[in-house]
Amino acid sequence: MKILYLDTSSSFLYCAIVKDNVLIGELKLKLEKDLSTLALSEINNLFIVTSTTPDDIDKILVVNGPGSFTGIRIGLTIAKTYAWGLNKKISTISSLEAMAVSCVESFDYYIPIIDARRGYVYAGIYDKDYNQILSNQYIKLDVLQATLDNLPGTYTFISNDSFDNLGNIQRYDPDFLKIVAKYNDKEEVNPHGIDALYLKLTEAEEKQGEVQNA
Amino acid sequence: MKDVYILGIESSCDETSASIVRNGTDEIATVILSQIDIHTNFGGVVPEIASRHHVKNITMVIEECLNKANMKMTDIDAIAVTYGPGLIGSLLVGLEAAKTLSFIYNKPLIPVHHIAGHIYANNLVKTMEYPLIALVVSGGHTDLVYMEDEYQFRHIGGTLDDAVGECYDKVARVIGVGYPGGPVIDKMATEGKHSYQLPMPLDDDSYNFSFSGLKSAVINLVHNEEQRGNIINKEDLATSFQDVVVDIITKKTIRALKEFKTSRLILAGGVAANQGLRAKLSTVCAENNIDCSFPPIKYCTDNAAMIATAGYFLYKQGKFSGLELNAKSSVELK
Repeated sequence: MKILYLDTSSSFLYCAIVKDNVLIGELKLKLEKDLSTLALSEINNLFIVTSTTPDDIDKILVVNGPGSFTGIRIGLTIAKTYAWGLNKKISTISSLEAMAVSCVESFDYYIPIIDARRGYVYAGIYDKDYNQILSNQYIKLDVLQATLDNLPGTYTFISNDSFDNLGNIQRYDPDFLKIVAKYNDKEEVNPHGIDALYLKLTEAEEKQGEVQNA
Repeated sequence: MKDVYILGIESSCDETSASIVRNGTDEIATVILSQIDIHTNFGGVVPEIASRHHVKNITMVIEECLNKANMKMTDIDAIAVTYGPGLIGSLLVGLEAAKTLSFIYNKPLIPVHHIAGHIYANNLVKTMEYPLIALVVSGGHTDLVYMEDEYQFRHIGGTLDDAVGECYDKVARVIGVGYPGGPVIDKMATEGKHSYQLPMPLDDDSYNFSFSGLKSAVINLVHNEEQRGNIINKEDLATSFQDVVVDIITKKTIRALKEFKTSRLILAGGVAANQGLRAKLSTVCAENNIDCSFPPIKYCTDNAAMIATAGYFLYKQGKFSGLELNAKSSVELK
């Protein structure tokens, strides 16, 4: 069974083809503003070097957020169009799940965080078996930190972003085999129904909400 | 000769659209999912909200289009997509979908300029003949384009600030008649009389337009009248405003037709649906023996049929793009 894994929710293109639990090709490219230009041509190159055709893929596992809004939409549009177009199975996972599972060192708790600016982060808390203790959310960093005092055990943050005075931060480097092994059997969804996990309203909606609540 | 079927995809603003057009002339099926009801709540298009809705809807729109045409992707010869200009986040969704379809089906990918699309909407009504002048008027554009031959564009003038449709929206907001402003003001203009004095904007020898001064004049007029305790006659103000807009557009368009020695005019873009502009241009074109083509209203607003149509002419020329095609919020029509 060939699985295509795709994550464009940050400035990186993370992509892998996994066949029967063997990694046959991967991309870990910091594309930043070139993500929209290069994502699909890099994926195409990956298919060429691994002698894979689009029809060879049996299932797509795509990250639907949180992270960069534009980045999320690039990967999600590619994945849902691919799955719909060639009638492939597709499942979504969150970027935070992928980050937690990829941690190399063992801890009692994993706290993947993504900088959401203005003192906020996207974060979740996962236990050592990757069960969610705190649901993925858009949260003030100091509020998140306050909840950690009650955690009974060791923990680490996982992030590719920079934070001051946060203590132990493991750099995020996706372990494609672990991610795919963990989420391979996740429930399949209809490609049409796939949507991004932004975890945050747009500014216009937030302002409208403030006006309505005033 | 074998028929050529182009799948067009358009997502440059707040409409998600897919269309299949045969040989650049016959519209087989078009689906347009408009977000106008959503953006009306915010008084205008919110780019991030538009992008979010495009990603939700894109595959459903393409599938519905294929179903409506009773066709499969394998029946399609190439995929044409708007790559710019437009809202970058919105453009990217249609673009990535088109690139993915090109990748998984190994079909040619055709990048289409949004304005070329608007112009070529006319080819769905009547085969375009050249040379011609195209007047493109919409929420994002006010352009005069000279076309000497097929798919040859020479931009001879455009707005220096606000596009005409944008100006309508802002004036509508100032006089409190809602969004989108164009259709509302157009209708009100039929019910009022030209009683307010407004300046003729950029009445010079160029083919450029400027509507920000006119917009400011309306804002100041409303403000001054309110300060004096006078009630604005909104219909009269709509008539006065529309008369000035239509006059300057018509004046420069007719001059362009004369200078470039052509008697063919085509109208394109959302504001091409404006009844006041159509009426005035019809009259003046008739007086000057100019063949004026107005596309039906359904082809004036954003749609993918126009993208598939323009794409056909690029297909004929073999002008395809690789998967590294990117969206551009601003790009010259060449």
